[in-house]
Amino acid sequence: MSSGADFVIAVYAVIWFVLLMYVVLLASRTARLSRQVELLSRLTGLHDEDDEDAGAP
Amino acid sequence: MTETGPGRSIALWGTLTAVLSTAAIVGAFLVAPEDADQGIIQRIFYFHVAIAITSMVAFAVAFVAGVLYLRKRERRFDEIGVVSIGLGVLFSALTVLTGSIWAKASWGIWWQWSDPRLVTYAIVVLLYVSYFMLRSSVDGERQARYSAIFSVVAFASVPLSFYAVRVAQSFIHPVVFTQSGANMPNTMLVWFVVSQVAMLCLFITLLKLELLQRRVDQALGELKLRLEASRPV
Amino acid sequence: MTAASRQFRALLLKDLRLELRTRQTAIAMVLFAVVAMMAFQFGFGFRVDDTTPLAGGILWATLALTAVLGVGRSFVPEREQRVLDGLLLAPVSRNLLLVARAASVFVYLVVVEVITVPLVTVFFVQDPAATDFALIAVVCVAANFGISILGSLLAAMAVFSRARELLLPVLFLPALLPVIIASAGATHAVLGVSNDMPEYQGYVLFLLVYAVIFALVAYATYDHVFDD
Repeated sequence: MSSGADFVIAVYAVIWFVLLMYVVLLASRTARLSRQVELLSRLTGLHDEDDEDAGAP
Repeated sequence: MTETGPGRSIALWGTLTAVLSTAAIVGAFLVAPEDADQGIIQRIFYFHVAIAITSMVAFAVAFVAGVLYLRKRERRFDEIGVVSIGLGVLFSALTVLTGSIWAKASWGIWWQWSDPRLVTYAIVVLLYVSYFMLRSSVDGERQARYSAIFSVVAFASVPLSFYAVRVAQSFIHPVVFTQSGANMPNTMLVWFVVSQVAMLCLFITLLKLELLQRRVDQALGELKLRLEASRPV
Repeated sequence: MTAASRQFRALLLKDLRLELRTRQTAIAMVLFAVVAMMAFQFGFGFRVDDTTPLAGGILWATLALTAVLGVGRSFVPEREQRVLDGLLLAPVSRNLLLVARAASVFVYLVVVEVITVPLVTVFFVQDPAATDFALIAVVCVAANFGISILGSLLAAMAVFSRARELLLPVLFLPALLPVIIASAGATHAVLGVSNDMPEYQGYVLFLLVYAVIFALVAYATYDHVFDD
């Protein structure tokens, strides 16, 4: 009986673990997206400065 | 917080998933009666089978998306297809893992070649993993087209695999294992249905989440391109 | 109708003539099949006294692997000598291209089977009966339909991909598993002492259903493979 319970726990632990790993995967993708957004916002900042430099003299 | 559109709908589906799967776990362990034959091991059934059916639903969604892509050539169908198959592979891999544990618990061995469902799911995982190999070795519009064609081919071979394994086993082992069947008491059936709906909600939530991520990724890519184009050299 | 059959003949003859000139593919397939059977024998044939129950499985595992090799090979001249570009420009229906391709794969498979089936019975079957050969020939024909149709569809996609030699077996073999199960089962049912006819018929029927389903899938999707 107790060994049966072990297996049930193992099954639910596997499901839990796999789904959490999936969350980790999603998180890493989100992190990549946020890096891209940061890069883009920095690029647009540079872009503006370039414009100002060009218009200064 | 005023979320609109996709954000709100993902939040709604996610909440529904959380509520239903919590209810299903409580129901499966605390409310549903102990199975007379299998004892506590039978409680694996509620999520194992729900996940298995959900993975088939995911492949069916990908099949429909594949057909629609071939007809209409709209990019969103390709995205639904690839995300669906990714989730289907995740769910069917979970089915194989949990099924193997169940086999150990009830038959004493980790792998039972005479169980058609377990073997079919192993074949299905192989089939759909090769979908991603195909995808990674083709580019552009052709990638979407070939992926759609392969999602149709793979979906056609799922019932064939199941039937072949099952027929082969019925000639060798006439005993068919029945662990679900119509003899399930109503109290068990109710909790099974709850966990099935919970898993379907989980699938929808994850599908929407990944589609949203892809959309953001795509929008960012376009933004980057436009920025590079408008930049003074 | 006559135009279509003339085109079909021209396409098939082109493949066969090319093959007759070089004999590369067929010889490689036969050699591969013989070596694969020896690999099975050395892998587990020694462990049993009577290999008759294994013969069907050895035959069809060998033939499935050989089919993957042959299907992949049959597209190589199309790509290397840019035959396909010409064919796609010609006013030939895409489905006819599929049928012609499947027919030439079918012929390759028959050539391999004519040599492999007798060899399997010599190597692995104790006391084979002459009528068994006719029954196994039916299995071969039924299995060849499915193998050649699905193989032609998948190879047409693999040929345009980057990892084509690697990709085709990975795409093709999982979908071939039902064929291996059914044709090995049918062969097993008639080899040896007792012929189990209901089992045999069930498996052959399954092979035909398999071929019909993938013929429909290929018919519906083959157009899209070349839709550039």
